[in-house]
Amino acid sequence: MIDLSKVDAGLWREVVESCGDIRHCFTCSTCVAGCPAAEASPPLFVRDLVRKVLLGLSESLLEDETPWLCVTCSACEEMCPMGVKPFEICLAVRRWQARNDESFIPASVAEIFETGHTQPVDRVREKRRAVGLEEVPPTIARFPEMLEKFREMLRETDLVKNNEFMFKG
Amino acid sequence: MKYGLFLGCNVPAVRPDVERAIRLSMPRLGAEMADLPGSVCCPAFGSFPSADETASLAVSAWNFSIAEDLGVPMVTQCGSCYSSLRMALERLHGDDALREKVQGLLRGKAGREFRGTAEVRHITDVLFNDIGAERIRGSLEFPLDGMSAVVQYPCHTLYPSEIVGFEESSGRPRMLRGLVEALGAEVRPYSRELQCCGGAGGFVKGSFAGASEYAFRKLRALRAETDAGMIVVSCITCLEHMDRMQAELAKKDPAYVPLPVFDYNQLLAVCMGFDPAEVASISTVPREALVERIRGAGR
Ligand code: SF4
Ligand code: SF4
Ligand code: SF4
Ligand code: SF4
Repeated sequence: MIDLSKVDAGLWREVVESCGDIRHCFTCSTCVAGCPAAEASPPLFVRDLVRKVLLGLSESLLEDETPWLCVTCSACEEMCPMGVKPFEICLAVRRWQARNDESFIPASVAEIFETGHTQPVDRVREKRRAVGLEEVPPTIARFPEMLEKFREMLRETDLVKNNEFMFKG
Repeated sequence: MKYGLFLGCNVPAVRPDVERAIRLSMPRLGAEMADLPGSVCCPAFGSFPSADETASLAVSAWNFSIAEDLGVPMVTQCGSCYSSLRMALERLHGDDALREKVQGLLRGKAGREFRGTAEVRHITDVLFNDIGAERIRGSLEFPLDGMSAVVQYPCHTLYPSEIVGFEESSGRPRMLRGLVEALGAEVRPYSRELQCCGGAGGFVKGSFAGASEYAFRKLRALRAETDAGMIVVSCITCLEHMDRMQAELAKKDPAYVPLPVFDYNQLLAVCMGFDPAEVASISTVPREALVERIRGAGR
C-alpha cells in the first residue's frame, strides 16, 4: 500500500534533470519486454522506477538497487513509444541516489580521478610488449602533468567537493 | 583519411591484441590512426554518468578537446565508449547553459578548450562507409572463402538510433555483415542475432545466474540454427563476454562446442597476413586452429 501522506510530490523534478518527459509514461511495459536486465533477480523494471518517481516514493526509490543492473544497451530508449528515455531514467535515478546516499557513488569515479582509467592500462607492460605495442598507451597514463590538470578540473565539481574523502591524489 | 584512435580502458589493458590489430589493419586501408594523447575513460556509464552529470560531461569534453586540437574525428571500437561519447556530445550541443558550465570547468582549471567541433565515429562505420568493401577485399592475403560466421551487432551503435545510429534501420542492421562478407565468408542469420550479449553495465555483476542464462539462450540458438565457424563482433565487451560465456556454457553443458570469437579488425588483420601472435593472441576459447586454417587456405 502507498501511504499518500508520506509521498514526495516534487520527486520527479529532482530526479529527471535531463530525461524525456517522464509524465508521458503510460506503463505500457515496452521498456521491460526488451530489457536484458529484466531477467535479473531481482529484475530491473524501468516502468516501475518511473512509477516510483512519479508517485514520489522517495524512500522506496532510495533502497532500490535495480537501476544498477542496467546493461546500458539503450534498446528501451529506441522502443519507448512516449519518448520517456528509460535508459536516461536509470542513470538519473542512480545520480539521485548517489546525491542522497554516498554509498551509491560507484568506486570507478575515484579510480578515474586517480588514474584517468577504470583499468590498469599502465601496469600491463609485458602483455602489451608481447603484441608489439608500446608498453604504456598514449593516454593520460603517459602524461602525469595532464593527469594533474584533469584532477584540478574535477576538484571543481560538486561530486568531488561533496565527497572529498573518496578522492585522493 | 585521418582519424583519432580513442582507446578507452579495456582495449589497451585487457585486449591489447585488438589495439594492435586496429593499428596495423587501418593504415593498410588508407586510414591513418593518430593517437589522442592524454585521453581518459570515456567516461563509462557506470562511473561519472551514474554519479554527477556535470562532472561526467567535463570528462567527456576533456576527451573531445584533445580530438578537436588535432582536428580529427574520434574512432572507437568499444561500443560503450562510442555511445557514451555520442550521448555526451548530444547533451552538450543541446543545452547552452550546461555547455558553458562545462567549458568553464575545462578552461579554468585544465586550460583546455571544448569548441563543439568534435565528431565521434564507430570503427565499423568508418570501415563500411569511408573505406568500403571493395577496398577491404583488395587488401586480403588470406580470404575466408568457404567459411561461415555469425555477427554480433553492438547495441551501443544501434540505439537510440537518432543519436548514435549510422545504419539505415536499427531493426535491420547490415554493415557488420557486409564487412565480414568482404573478407569472403558467408554470414548466417539466426533468430537471436540482434539480442544484446548482456555483458555491459551491471547485469553480470548484479545477477550472474540471470546474465548467464540470458547469454546461453543466444548462444544455444546460434549453434542450433547455424553451421557458423566463428563469431565476429566489433566491441570489446561483446568480444570478452561472448568468449567468456561460451566457456561457461561448455563447462555446464559439454555438448556445447564453443566457437572462436574475433573482433572484426583482428579477423581483418589475420586475413591481411599480419602475425596472429600480435593481432589475435588473447582469448578464452582457442582460436589458433581456425587461424591456421585461414592462413593455410590462402596458400
Ligand atoms: S516504454 Fe516508455 S511509456 Fe512504456 S512503460 Fe516504459 S517508459 Fe513508460
Ligand atoms: S538500457 Fe538498461 S533499462 Fe534499457 S533496455 Fe537496456 S538494460 Fe534495460
Ligand atoms: S566504456 Fe569501458 S572501455 Fe570505454 S573507456 Fe569507458 S570503461 Fe573504458
Ligand atoms: S551487445 Fe552487449 S557489449 Fe555489445 S554493445 Fe550491446 S551491450 Fe554492449
